[in-house]
Amino acid sequence: MAGDFNTESMLDMYLFENGQLLEQLQETVLEQKDADCFDEDSINEIFRTMHTIKGSSGIMMFDNITAVSHKLEDVFFYLRESHPDNVPHVELVEHVLEVEDFISNEMEKIRNGDPVDGDASSIIADLDKFLNVIKNGGAAADGGEAPQNVHEEPKHFYIAPVATAASRFYKIFIHFFPETEMTNVHAYKAVYALKEIAEDILYSPEELLTDEKCSETILKEGFRILLQAQCTEEEVRELIGVGYDIEKVDVFECDANQFLLGFDFNDQEPPVPKIDLESSVEAIEAKQEAAQAAQAAQPAAEEKKPEAPKITPGDFVIQSKEPGKQKKLAKDKPKGEKAAFISVNVSKMDQLMDLIGELVISESVVLQSSDLKVPGLNLDNFNKAAAQLASISTDLQTVIMSMRMVPLTNTFQKMNRIVFDVSRKLGKDIEFVMVGDSTEVDKNIIEHISDPLMHLVRNAVDHGIETNEERQESGKMEKGKVTLSAKTEAGKVWISVEDNGTGLNREKILAKARKQGILDDNKPDAAYSDKEVYQFITLPGFSTNEQVTEYSGRGVGMDVVVQNIQAIGGALEIESTPGFGSVMSLKIPLTLAIIDGIVMEVGSSSFVMETGVIKQFIRVKEDMMIHEPNGDEFVMIRGDCFPVIRLGRWYDLDTYQESVEDGVMLILEVEDKKVCLLVDKLVGQQEIVVKPIPSYIKKVRGLSGCTQLGDGSIALILDAPGLVE
Amino acid sequence: MDKTSGLLGQPEGMDNVANERDTQKGKYMTFKSGSEYFGLEIQYVQQIIQFQAVTKIPETEDYIKGLINLRGKIVPVVDVRLRFHQGEYEYNDKTCILVINVKDTTVGLIVEQIAEVAEIKEENILPPPTIGRGDKGHNKYVYGIGKVGNSVKLLLDPEKLLYDDDPSDADQLKRAEEE
Repeated sequence: MAGDFNTESMLDMYLFENGQLLEQLQETVLEQKDADCFDEDSINEIFRTMHTIKGSSGIMMFDNITAVSHKLEDVFFYLRESHPDNVPHVELVEHVLEVEDFISNEMEKIRNGDPVDGDASSIIADLDKFLNVIKNGGAAADGGEAPQNVHEEPKHFYIAPVATAASRFYKIFIHFFPETEMTNVHAYKAVYALKEIAEDILYSPEELLTDEKCSETILKEGFRILLQAQCTEEEVRELIGVGYDIEKVDVFECDANQFLLGFDFNDQEPPVPKIDLESSVEAIEAKQEAAQAAQAAQPAAEEKKPEAPKITPGDFVIQSKEPGKQKKLAKDKPKGEKAAFISVNVSKMDQLMDLIGELVISESVVLQSSDLKVPGLNLDNFNKAAAQLASISTDLQTVIMSMRMVPLTNTFQKMNRIVFDVSRKLGKDIEFVMVGDSTEVDKNIIEHISDPLMHLVRNAVDHGIETNEERQESGKMEKGKVTLSAKTEAGKVWISVEDNGTGLNREKILAKARKQGILDDNKPDAAYSDKEVYQFITLPGFSTNEQVTEYSGRGVGMDVVVQNIQAIGGALEIESTPGFGSVMSLKIPLTLAIIDGIVMEVGSSSFVMETGVIKQFIRVKEDMMIHEPNGDEFVMIRGDCFPVIRLGRWYDLDTYQESVEDGVMLILEVEDKKVCLLVDKLVGQQEIVVKPIPSYIKKVRGLSGCTQLGDGSIALILDAPGLVE
Repeated sequence: MDKTSGLLGQPEGMDNVANERDTQKGKYMTFKSGSEYFGLEIQYVQQIIQFQAVTKIPETEDYIKGLINLRGKIVPVVDVRLRFHQGEYEYNDKTCILVINVKDTTVGLIVEQIAEVAEIKEENILPPPTIGRGDKGHNKYVYGIGKVGNSVKLLLDPEKLLYDDDPSDADQLKRAEEE
C-alpha cells in the first residue's frame, strides 16, 4: 500500500484544507473589520487557524508559510491571553489579511508547481513591530505577565477544544510493574490512544518522550491523565488496554470543576490518590462513590471550588475553561456545522448523474416492457411497486441536481474583501452590504460570474462612490454604500451591485460616444434612451474616466464583463439615477446543466428548445404567410410580422411537414428579436440535462448541445440566439 | 523460471499494465467492410455493441451518422463504409458498432461485420503498396498489410481514420477540449 503515501495527494489535501481555512479566516476577519476589536471567539478561531496552518506547513516543509503563520499566531496568542485594550484594530485586520494574502499566494505557487520562494521577512518584521506596539501599549493595562508564558510554558500552549454538555471528565491513574522499562513510551502509547476520543487531555509528567528521567517518576508515582471526552469509563479502559506492563489502571469520573483543578489533588482531594495506590479497583470505586455522595451532601465542598483556579498557576488552558467560557464555546457550535461539507470531485458527480440518468431509462424500459402487455395479467402489485420505484428515482434525480447547487456566499465574501481593500486605498468611507448571499447557483456558473462581479464591485467603489469630500460638498449625509444582492426570480438568478454614488453621467457618455463615432450622426442625443446610452459603457475601449487608476479606467472591463456573462447565457442591465447612484444587474441562468425545455419533433428527429425563450405556440394558416421571391418567408400574426425558420428545411432533414398548417409555430424572443420556428409537432415539456455535443463533431450552427430523453433516445438542443442570428 | 518464461515468449511476474500491453500486442480486431477485411490494433477498441438507433446530426459530413447513447455517454458514430467511399448499404443484424478510443476521443465505428481477433506478427506486416490500387480511398488510412494465413487484412491507422489525413486536427481538438 505504498501508493497511499504519495506526496501528491498529501499536497492536494494540504492545499485544499488550508485554502478552506484561509477562506474562513478571511470571512471571520471581514465580518468584524468594522468593530473596535475582535471578539473572543474570533481571536480563538484565528489563532486556531494559524496554528493548524503552521502545523501542516511545517510538515510539508514550506518554511516561509510556517514562519509567517507562526508570527501571526504569536500576535493572536498575545491578544488572547493579555486582552490588551488599545489594539489598533484596522491595522490588525490589515496584518491578518496581509498574512492571508501571502499564504494564498504561496499556495498558488505550490499549486502551479513553482518554487515556494515568497519572502516572508518583511511581513514577519511588520508583525513583530505590531506585536511590540500592542505589548507596550497593553503593558500598563495588564502587567505584561502573559508574554512570559510564551516562553516558559510552551507545553500548555495548545488549543482548547470545544467542550459540550455531553462531555465527561475522568482522572486516570496508570501504574506500571516496577520492572517495566521505558515506561515513558508505554505511557505515551496510552495518551496517544486516548487522544482519539479526547476533547481535552492533560497528563503528568509531561515530557514523556523528551525527558528520560520521567520513566522513573512514572514508575514511582504512576502516570496521571486528566481526560475530557464523550465516552464511558469502559471505553476509556479499553483504549488504554491492559498489557503485560501495566499493573493497574484506575479511572475515576469527576466533574468539570474537579477537572479544572488539574493535578492538584494533593490540596483538594488527598485521599483519592492514596487509595488507588494500595486498594483494588472495586474498593476505589466504592470509596469514590462514597466520596461523591459525601460531596453531594456537603455543599461546603462545592464552595471551595471558586478558590480552586488559583491553585493551578500559569495553567491557562485549564483556566480558560471557566464554566462561563465553556458555554461560550458551546454556543460556537453552529459555526462548526460548516465542517459538515465534504468536497467531491465534479467528475464523480457527473458520473453519478449519468448513472442516475441510465437508471431512469432502464426503469422505463422495465416498466414499459412488452412482456407486461400480455392480456389477462394481474399487475396490481407490480404497479404499486413500480410507482414506488418511480418516486424514488425521481427523488434521486432531484437530489443529484441539488448537489450541484452552491450558495453564493463565498463569492460574495470575496467582494467584501475587494471593497475593503479598494476603499481603504482610495480613502473612501464605504459600507458594504450583502443581501441574499445564500442564493444557490450551479457550481459552473459561480466560476463564471466571479470575475465579472469583481469588476462591477470595483467599478462601484472606484467610480460610483464619490470621495468623502465630494460627498460632503453635494450634501450627501449618509456613508458611501455598496449593496450586493442576489435573488432568484423566474428561473433566473439576479445579482445586482448597487451604489449610492454619482450615477452614470449621460452627457459624458454621449459625448464620448460621439467622439468615438459610435453614434449615428443624424440622430440627436435626445433620441437615445437612457438604457441605450448606458449600454455604451459595455463597448470595448469605452471609458469616460479621464484618469486611469490602479483599479479601473482603462476601458477594458465592462466589455469583458458582458462577454463573460453572455457566455453563460446571461445579460447585464444597467440602471442609474444621476446623483443617486446606479444599479448593475446580472441576470444569469440558475444552472447550465439542467434546463427546462420543450421537446419537439421534426421528421424523425427530436429537438429541445429552452422554455424561457419561447413566447408563444401558434398554429398558422397558409394565408398568413408572406413569401419573398428570394425564398425568405414571413408570417403575419396579429399585425406583427415575424421571419420564419422552417427547422426541417434549415437542417435539410429527410422528412418534415411541408405545409405550415400541419406544423406548429414557436415564436422565439431573444434580446428583443423575434422569429418564428416551424416544427412538425410538440412532444412535451421536461427538465433536461444538457450534455455537450462530442467535440469530434464540428460545431453546427443553431445547436448548443444534446440530451438524452426519457426513452434513451437523443435529442438535440437548439440554441435560440444562434437561430435568431 | 527464466527458462520457461523465455520459452513462452511472455515474461511472467510483471505488473498488470505491462502484461496487458504485452498480451494486446500484435493483436488486431478485424472486421469486414465491403469486400475487404480490415484490422485495428486491439488497444484502441473499447467495446463492441449491437447496432442501435442513431440520432442524426444536421450539417455534418455524410460519414458521421450521428450520435448514440452509450450508457449515458453520448458518442458520435462514423460509418466506415461511407468513410471508405464504398457506398451505402442496408444495416442488418450483423452490423455492429465498434467503440474505439483514440487520444481520449471516443467514437463508434459502424462496421458491416465483425470478423475475429487475429494475431499478426510484425514480420507479417508489409507496407501498403503505393501504386496500382484502384481503390485510392484506402491508402491514406491503411498503414500496413497484415498476412494471416492465406488472407490479408488492411491495417488501419485509427487517428487518420477519424481525422482524415490531417493529424493536426486531433491535436487541435484535444486542445479545444482542455480549454
